[in-house]
Amino acid sequence: MNRFRWLALVVLVLGALVVSEVATQPVLTNADRAHQLAENFACPVCSGQSVAESDVPIARAIRTEIARMVDEGATDAMVRTELVERFGQDIDYTPQGSGLTGLVWVLPVVLAVAAVTGLVLALRRWSGASTGRASAKKSSRPMVLLGIAVLAVGAGLLVAQTSGSRGAGETGSGEIRSSTRTLLAQAGVAAPQEAITLYTEVLELQPSNVEALTYRAWALWRSGGQLLARVDISDAVTLDPAYPDARVFRASMLFADEEAAAAAQDLLVLDTLAAPPIVGDLLAASHLRERIASSLAAQGDLLMALTLLDSGIEVTAQPAPLLAERGWLLAVTFEPDLLGLAVEALDEALVLESAHPNALAYRALVRSVLLEDAEGAAADAAAFAALADPPAALVELLTAEGLLG
Amino acid sequence: MRSVRVKALLVGLMLLTLVGVLATRESGPDRMTTHLVGQGAPPIEGTTTSGEAWRLDLQRGRWVVVNFFSTTCVPCVREHPELVAFAEAHAEADDVRVVTVAFADSPAAVEEFFRSNGGDWPVLVTDTGRIAVDWGVVAVPESYLVSSAGFVAAKIIGGVVQADLEAMLVEARGS
Repeated sequence: MNRFRWLALVVLVLGALVVSEVATQPVLTNADRAHQLAENFACPVCSGQSVAESDVPIARAIRTEIARMVDEGATDAMVRTELVERFGQDIDYTPQGSGLTGLVWVLPVVLAVAAVTGLVLALRRWSGASTGRASAKKSSRPMVLLGIAVLAVGAGLLVAQTSGSRGAGETGSGEIRSSTRTLLAQAGVAAPQEAITLYTEVLELQPSNVEALTYRAWALWRSGGQLLARVDISDAVTLDPAYPDARVFRASMLFADEEAAAAAQDLLVLDTLAAPPIVGDLLAASHLRERIASSLAAQGDLLMALTLLDSGIEVTAQPAPLLAERGWLLAVTFEPDLLGLAVEALDEALVLESAHPNALAYRALVRSVLLEDAEGAAADAAAFAALADPPAALVELLTAEGLLG
Repeated sequence: MRSVRVKALLVGLMLLTLVGVLATRESGPDRMTTHLVGQGAPPIEGTTTSGEAWRLDLQRGRWVVVNFFSTTCVPCVREHPELVAFAEAHAEADDVRVVTVAFADSPAAVEEFFRSNGGDWPVLVTDTGRIAVDWGVVAVPESYLVSSAGFVAAKIIGGVVQADLEAMLVEARGS
């Protein structure tokens, strides 16, 4: 009976504490939450001031960022993870739940339980002494104490884990943006197979990540997975028709599938977008535009070929190769009306890049065959022969025309 | 009486061990200065002083020096000629680009500063507080070297020197 009275008393006290806490806790507005959170972070450049208190620029910027995240529905844990990841653990006033710092959480719980246990034991001893039952209980006391100690440490660890456990850079609380960013960067320098795995990881986190879809398609294509590559690249273009990388990769795949007209359409769209330098580098290194134009001209669609080249000439910083190709395609029509335009394009290419092998070889051939300018042709051929590493196909062409010895 | 002494001794030893561990533990790495290096670069998106949109992810294929700056900061003003020289040295090859994020500054002051002191690279003046928080910037000037693949390769706290920046670039490129 005595035991039930104690239990009732403990339940009553705990219940009263919980009710009072809940009853006095007002509903927080976003601004209140942002302010409370700001109080929990140290100003990175001030001594002893929180982000909420400091007025230095970075503290103001962090306050604004916290408010933005709260307005966007971020939990306290997400805000904490984001700021700790950016500024380091030192910014966080809330102690970590792991390592030695975890004792901050464990010890108070252990001490509280020990104090309550001591109090209960003292009361029981006092009560037992008055009723003469103390000696009967004495033998079971070590086991009871051991059980309470285990319970206390366990409770302490649980509190530590739920209150403060999180690590900078970990994504357990939903910070997706930074983790996918790093995965994408890692995939960018990985071998194709590893890159495919990394891009797949990104897509598991963000199924609509266009960059991951596009580059997984490209990695698949390079590894022989053409079918899957086509599916990925098609999804990528559908998701974001303005993503330049997807356009250039799809153009390359379409051209390999002998669909030059469709490939040209992708490059024409690409020319209207703000493409990163890597896309221009890829186009220049692969001569994709020139090869597509050449294929279109061979199929009889010279107009489309010229449209594609002109579009590229307008947007690229290094148009000489495209001008050379334009000149050559116009020249090999053998239309007298187009010859002037052909020479104009070749001249322009060589003004921009005096040692461009294609422009030199094409102009030598045009001068020799179409303009009957043997001297000019010989000069271009000599300049071509002086190049360090002239393309073998052009050497063969000039040799066949008797321009190279 | 003897058991009480043993207990007291044990508690004392435990406390001494705890103090010993705390006193001799090496402090952890300074994560406030190193946490971004080796990670994917946080996004940067904003409007330049000339009103054009600029995005870091559209620079893929080129190395980028991201410089956090303010016209009111003396080391920023001092480092500026070094950055101008660095940008000019790489202008023709177009292998490295510079972008400045003007933090806690007025667009008019920034525009005037660049007009007077040179530097024709993009200077972002919008949403710069958010960018600074994303990059964990503590105080300007701070600069970051971002690889052509989008990794943060190095962080420079304080004003940059052209020669140091070049050396850092060579080391990061492994060439």
